[in-house]
Amino acid sequence: MNFWDYIGNRHQQLLADAYQHASAVFQCMVVATLVGVLIGVVSYRSEWAGNLATLTTSTILTIPALAMIGLLIPIVGLGVAPTVIALTLYGLLPIVRNSIVGLRGVDPALIDAAKGIGMSRIARLVKVELPLAWPPILTGIRVSTQMLMGIAAIAAYASGPGLGNEIFRGIASLGSKNALNQVLAGTLGIIILALIFDAVYVLVGRLTIPRGIRV
Amino acid sequence: MSGRRPSPPDNRPEGEHEVKGLAFRDEGEGEQEAAPLVAPPPEKMMRRIGWPKLVLLPAVIAVVLLATWLWFQRADLDSISETALSNGNVWKAFKQHVQLTVISTFFVLIIAIPLGILLTRKAFRKAAPIAMTFANMGQATPAIGLLALLVIWMGIGEKPALIGIIIYAVLPVLSNTIAGLKANDPTLMEAARGIGMSSVGVLTKVELPLAVPLILAGVRTALVLNVGTATLATFGGGGGLGVLITTGITNQRMPVLLLGSILTVALALFVDWLASLAEILLSPRGLEVKS
Repeated sequence: MNFWDYIGNRHQQLLADAYQHASAVFQCMVVATLVGVLIGVVSYRSEWAGNLATLTTSTILTIPALAMIGLLIPIVGLGVAPTVIALTLYGLLPIVRNSIVGLRGVDPALIDAAKGIGMSRIARLVKVELPLAWPPILTGIRVSTQMLMGIAAIAAYASGPGLGNEIFRGIASLGSKNALNQVLAGTLGIIILALIFDAVYVLVGRLTIPRGIRV
Repeated sequence: MSGRRPSPPDNRPEGEHEVKGLAFRDEGEGEQEAAPLVAPPPEKMMRRIGWPKLVLLPAVIAVVLLATWLWFQRADLDSISETALSNGNVWKAFKQHVQLTVISTFFVLIIAIPLGILLTRKAFRKAAPIAMTFANMGQATPAIGLLALLVIWMGIGEKPALIGIIIYAVLPVLSNTIAGLKANDPTLMEAARGIGMSSVGVLTKVELPLAVPLILAGVRTALVLNVGTATLATFGGGGGLGVLITTGITNQRMPVLLLGSILTVALALFVDWLASLAEILLSPRGLEVKS
């Protein structure tokens, strides 16, 4: 069976896996973004808290994905739970870091001006600081998403969802004719998904970055 | 293919460059080492590293390993776990893992750094964007898929695992090197040329010393990335600590799984700590950011 026949035969399974892969990554990214930006907002004003947040999340990123999943399995069991927890944790660092950098990088004169026209702390944060910090945060989200695509593939070993299952089926049947097709389908599928996500983020950037600060 | 990214922040907090390379290789977001113009006051060597940094992480790792060891002394293991952990299997896996990491890092560095230097020379500068696009695409490739393809192509063993690990880490280190060399202050290069230095002189006496922090950051990136990818070597029969983790998962033996995971985490954190020390100690003093 050549590769295209394989795709034709299994397209339903492949699409289901691809959908699950994308949906797992997307959902974890939403959670990671919310938590990450929140951590950034809470910690960026103090040097100490900001550094602690960056240090903690970067330590998490240092841990190899397979080991993280291995540590989670005894606690939460196999399947979706360790996948979701691991993906969310790994997604945090780029977002936390870029939120802090972005929020700290806002021109103090602008914040002063906002204060001067009588904006409250919350209003300043929501209407001035976060929109100005949005481009780096979005970059962080893109970077996280790409990373999670690959980590989600590894999570399939712990019975997680997604295209990683296709790759591991191929590894399990090494030597059989379909092994190459399976691995190739899974790998290419993940690359395509990552590129689609990236294109969507470019679009989101076009639509959401305030016109005034576009380059 | 890869659209322009939204402009990355170019005002990073000082000393931020040491964060793992995984993520932040957007063009233009290079290192900022050239910034401080005021030379830091001379200090003693040890002052460059605060004692918390020196002691805290190794202490935590030691406590965790000790706790694990004590727990294993008491745990009653069944026969499957016994076999998985006996006969020096754990030590063998650990040794393999370290070996895979060290060898692959060595190759990553001797491939990526010269290539990065080459791609920032005038003659090859046109090729740099192509290499960057390639590197960005490579980021999207899942490590496990790459490894599996290599195993199918070359057969089971240590070699495909090593090659996979190397390919996976070359791209980020390469794009880091290019970004960093590009971020060097052009006026310095101009000044060097102005006093009559040859292009080789400019490279070896100005550009490379300025890029040392960046190269060290590359070493750290590669090491950390490789410790992680080496856990996947087990899927291609390449050994390493991943063997314990996968044995634990497939046989449902939590002690084996936990031991494998804890050792991997400890190794990864320790390697990162070592590399961060090296980063601090080996950076040229003149480039130090005053803290």
